[in-house]
Amino acid sequence: MVRLFVELKARLTWNGVRNDVQRRFGFPIAILLLTWLAVWLAGKHLDLTSHLESNSEALGHYLGWVALFMFLVWVTLPVIIFPLDENLDPQQLSTLPISSTQLVTGLTAASLVAPATLIPVILMSVNGWVLIEGWWMVVPASVVFMGLLSVGSQLFSASISAILRTRRGRDIATFLILGLAAASFFIYRSVASTVSQLGFEEAALSAPILDWALLIPPVAAQRAIVEASDGNVAMALVMLAAATLWLGALAWLWRALLGWMLTTPPEGSRPAGRARRNGMATGAWGVIPTLARKELRFYVRDPRQRLVWTGTVIFVGLAVAGTIMGATGVFDLRDNEWAPLVAPILVLFVGLPIALNLFGWERNAASYLFVLPAKPSQLLMGKNIAVSIGLFIESIVLALALSLFTGFWQWTWMVVPLVVAAIGSQLAVGNMVSVLTPLRLPREGTDVFAQSTEQGCLAIVMQVVSFFAIGLLLVPPASVVVLTVDFGQAVPSWFAVVFSILYGVILYAVSLFVASRLLKRRLPEVMAWVQVV
Amino acid sequence: MTAVDDVDLTILPGEFYGLLGQNGAGKTTTIKTIVGLLRPDAGSVGIGEWDTWTHPTEVKSRIGVLPEEFNLYERLTGAELLDFTAAMHGLSRDEAASRRDELLELLDLTSAGSKLIGDYSRGMRKKVALGAAIIHRPPVLFLDEPFEGVDAVSARLIRNLLQQAATGGTTVVFSSHEMHLVEKLCTRIGIMVEGKLTIEETPAGLCTLTGKDNVEDAFIAAVGGDKVDGTSWYDSSSS
Repeated sequence: MVRLFVELKARLTWNGVRNDVQRRFGFPIAILLLTWLAVWLAGKHLDLTSHLESNSEALGHYLGWVALFMFLVWVTLPVIIFPLDENLDPQQLSTLPISSTQLVTGLTAASLVAPATLIPVILMSVNGWVLIEGWWMVVPASVVFMGLLSVGSQLFSASISAILRTRRGRDIATFLILGLAAASFFIYRSVASTVSQLGFEEAALSAPILDWALLIPPVAAQRAIVEASDGNVAMALVMLAAATLWLGALAWLWRALLGWMLTTPPEGSRPAGRARRNGMATGAWGVIPTLARKELRFYVRDPRQRLVWTGTVIFVGLAVAGTIMGATGVFDLRDNEWAPLVAPILVLFVGLPIALNLFGWERNAASYLFVLPAKPSQLLMGKNIAVSIGLFIESIVLALALSLFTGFWQWTWMVVPLVVAAIGSQLAVGNMVSVLTPLRLPREGTDVFAQSTEQGCLAIVMQVVSFFAIGLLLVPPASVVVLTVDFGQAVPSWFAVVFSILYGVILYAVSLFVASRLLKRRLPEVMAWVQVV
Repeated sequence: MTAVDDVDLTILPGEFYGLLGQNGAGKTTTIKTIVGLLRPDAGSVGIGEWDTWTHPTEVKSRIGVLPEEFNLYERLTGAELLDFTAAMHGLSRDEAASRRDELLELLDLTSAGSKLIGDYSRGMRKKVALGAAIIHRPPVLFLDEPFEGVDAVSARLIRNLLQQAATGGTTVVFSSHEMHLVEKLCTRIGIMVEGKLTIEETPAGLCTLTGKDNVEDAFIAAVGGDKVDGTSWYDSSSS
């Protein structure tokens, strides 16, 4: 049965690569990027372990922490940032004559048939090399560790999906994920400050995580290899048994959760509020405003779009907070009166998955939208207005927060024209990318986070390229503003205001003109790309 | 792969035209091409004097489309979808609100109008999609499988609405596998086989042509479906 699941996943992956243009391009990119990432991480890992060769105790604890971090990143990253891979949908397999144990075992094995598996395989090979004295334990403990990654990841993803099926799920999931993001930041801060204060070796010894291995599944698997390399056969076997028991427990939980999800329908939407009872006939009316209002509703109602808007801003907020606190060491904002002007940089990070994929979020409803008599320019403008509102609010809120924190208010007003230039730059790039390379988003089924690695990699590549393009476009207005607020205020402020606004508007208008014509010609192609089949 | 090939189809104003064919015959592709969702490799399509590909907005403002799949906005309520569609078609706010309320009541969706479409049953989705297709009173209606998956009451409701539209001068083009409804409603029938339009006739003319006494038998004969046998193994004696 497990073989059948693995073969099914392999066949689906191969068929996807063969028949889907996105995957045909994305698959080799995914393999290259993931291999590069795995080799880079392995190099870092080897470099750090070489510093601890003389102290086996510190090395053991460090390796325990590495196992824990890898587990946490692997489990949470698909939900927080972007999915590592597309898993088989349990819903489609639920009518087969197999037991739930077979289902869970098969899904676990099948999830490893994916390009992303390259990373743990390469890292665990290096890990085994570092602890080569315990060679006899490397393979069994690594297999258990891989099982923990697979089961843990799908259990977490299924848990979030299960929460989203409840009436209040979108709010709960958003707060949960924001909590995880915030926790990640503070863990990073804590580790960074401990290492800088105590040094690498002492820091590892000050947090003896191997002592807690029985309670932390991935650390138990890692300790099994560490003990084996130290020659403690009995303790190695105990740790392997503990990790295996944990794997069984997590698999049991996942099985129970799947059983519930497959037999319980999602809760219906909330009872109607006043706004819903009135439809959309109250408020701004007309093709463009109504389309913008539809988009704004989806920013709130679509869990993934809501996460884009709320999650990313928290990340950036934390990064800015770290900068203000001097944690990142990039530059210290605390003593600069232009600190609030950093806020428009937010547009480089926030909303990109939406601004660069305006039609992808339509999914199959694109065919509904495209038979309505709206001109391509109207479609783009309606969606652009919604993105602009989101970006404008978030940038202004951040600017006010920075002013409040630093106490500098002199240049806060300058944020408004700078935000116009920044939004114009993002929309200029976003409209072109949305029309030329729309990205297909996965069907919302049992796992709302399901997306193939190849598509994820394409999305990341597209975002990185666009990120630099938007950054380059922002150089002229940013330079003018810098010359206004610093360097002896060489440029009058009125000029910076006029230049920034005109720059943003003209850039946007040119992009809208070109993208509208492209969309008119490519409408069937855009629809075909974004539709989920 | 060619989905539709060499189709020469003219539908006159006020006609109730049934596009029939087996699964995969090219009915949906034909409708999608006419409404501007698929670009033909060759030839032209249009509504009235307007060509779909050179004047897409003019064409789309004159048509209402009920898609085969339920490609609606699942996170809009039924009322919001109707308002949204009305706004996109340029109706005034008051007119939109008035028609929306009337449609929701007619379609028996008044209480469901404030629920998200994602929570609707198949029949409810079909009804709200039909409401959205007709809210701007289009002169031409394209309906892909309007009776598929709906209960008898809803089917009767949809049928009455379509008949009312046709009586009012609306041209209706629809694909369906419900042959008794095709026989009752259509003034003309087009049969597609493997991407080609092979027969165009009135229901009575089709029966005469095939020597059958009802449209269902006539259709099956026309597409060669009467030669289908069962399996060699799936019968009671082999179990």
